Amino acid sequence: MALVSARGLTKSYGSVRALDGATYEIGEGVTGLLGSNGAGKTTSLKLFMGLIKADSGSVEVLGANPTASPEYRARIGYAPEHDCLPRNVSAAEFLAYLGEVSGLPRTAARLRASDVLRHVGLFEERYRPIGTYSTGMKQKVKLAQALVHDPVVAFLDEPTAGLDPMGRRDMLELIRHVGREFGISIVISTHLMGDVERTCDAVVVLDAGRVLRTGAVSGLTEETEAVLVDVVDAAETLAAALERRGIAVRTDGNRLTLPQVSGDDYDILRDAIVEADVLLYRLAPERHTLADVFTPAQEATEDGSAEQP
Amino acid sequence: MSTLGPAEIFDLGYQPYEGERRGRWPRRRAIWRDGIRTSLGLGRGTAAKIAPWLLIGLALVPMVVLVVLAAFLGSVPTNPDDFELPSYAEYFDYALLPLGLFAAVVAPLLLCPDRRDGVLSLYAARPITPRDYIGSRWAAFFTVAVFVVCVPELVLFIWNALDARDLGSWLDDNWDTLPRFLLAGTAVAAVYTTLTLFIASFTARRAYATIATLAVLFIGSAIGGIAEESFQGGVADALSLAAIPQVLTDTVYWIFGDAPDDRPVAAPVSALWLAGLTLVLGALLLRRTTSLVRG
Repeated sequence: MALVSARGLTKSYGSVRALDGATYEIGEGVTGLLGSNGAGKTTSLKLFMGLIKADSGSVEVLGANPTASPEYRARIGYAPEHDCLPRNVSAAEFLAYLGEVSGLPRTAARLRASDVLRHVGLFEERYRPIGTYSTGMKQKVKLAQALVHDPVVAFLDEPTAGLDPMGRRDMLELIRHVGREFGISIVISTHLMGDVERTCDAVVVLDAGRVLRTGAVSGLTEETEAVLVDVVDAAETLAAALERRGIAVRTDGNRLTLPQVSGDDYDILRDAIVEADVLLYRLAPERHTLADVFTPAQEATEDGSAEQP
Repeated sequence: MSTLGPAEIFDLGYQPYEGERRGRWPRRRAIWRDGIRTSLGLGRGTAAKIAPWLLIGLALVPMVVLVVLAAFLGSVPTNPDDFELPSYAEYFDYALLPLGLFAAVVAPLLLCPDRRDGVLSLYAARPITPRDYIGSRWAAFFTVAVFVVCVPELVLFIWNALDARDLGSWLDDNWDTLPRFLLAGTAVAAVYTTLTLFIASFTARRAYATIATLAVLFIGSAIGGIAEESFQGGVADALSLAAIPQVLTDTVYWIFGDAPDDRPVAAPVSALWLAGLTLVLGALLLRRTTSLVRG
């Protein structure tokens, strides 16, 4: 079931075109809205929230037109990228208040606030003023306020912004946990491919307002026919040994890439390693990365022949 | 030796919410209630309570002191002409200053921190409209302001009723005082609430909003006073309307049926001017807040 359905979305701010005929769907699970700055991610989120109207095209969130009525927002959550938390109010009080504003009865909102804060790991600190929290704790409060009213889908804008590597890992695990265990679908807007690869089931890749790719992350990062060989040193010796055996090789420092490897080639590779007397560090099939998704489009853009999504 | 009861397993996993989801009015009421708590510093630290309660005290306590004084003097054999309680309208002469200060200092708390801390974007993501947000915020401060304005008047009303020789006949003669001071209090609260929130919508800094509000009130009073004293004619009369506290005073006296006849602008015109000003500022406040909430 599509939670978000965008058809031919176009939105301009003056002469700047933020979205250019974007068509995609977002389903259940954890989905990444991936793109560089100016790709149209925030504009997409604003359209999902009904805060702006598209110049042309249409968008449906949970089957509703976002600009028609605010009622559908009772079932969606949102955590912006920027600071959005009051300083002198406790997390428990603030979440209970937002729960009420989302339509929960007062007692239920208080219970939900404590429960959600427990799930994000802030139960002990819930009565402290938010202004005393660390950046990582504030990010968790932002996530918690997006979940307090038990939405069907939550939109998280750059949820790992400002976090150190440990905090980033914890937040991504938490998002993954929410998406898997809570039954709440998550859409994260990010420019970090690593976040999408580690967290998301599906991805919508935006570039300059256009959709480059959509699909399952596993499909975009599947194995290729190439094999990577990392050695400790003497990569040139091994490359020469392979070429003498008729296998093409690309060398990049201590990494060799064999573009096409089939059954018998592995025996040849083994013999070449023995002959070159190199220390093997890693031997693995090469996988596509999300970074590869951007490369053809950027080259095409430079040629002025970008493919329409 | 104690025996253990049967083992229990508690599921501390995530529980989806399957209860009631309420409509627009309860959501608005939640914002209204939060606004009242913010205005009075409830649920905040001690520092947040000092300014509102000090100013509320300045507006409330004098009337209570006067009534207690009247009660005390009434019980001793002295000439009752030596001491008189103020009339309902006369109390506004005094109360408008602390009320103006209260509005200038406290009302910005309902908008500026939300904007400074970026909380407006969270309201934008909730099932409410910008109109719900600003309407509830306005209603919250309006409620507090009406309370602060009307409680001293109510104290005076109750004292006068208790002090009457015949309560029934006193009520027959004075029942209309109640709607009059409610109307006067409502008018004063509406003007101050709308003006201060409108000014506060232009800044994320509460101090700037306070200073700007006081500047509008004092500079307007200065312009109105100079125009009234030094010039004559239509322009001077129009400029006298810039003195909002004075125009409020004229309107209050008019509501109590005691309109002064030496004012450059007739009291009904002053009342209309205040009503028009409040409506226009309210419409501009709504427009401004809508653009702020939608970012």
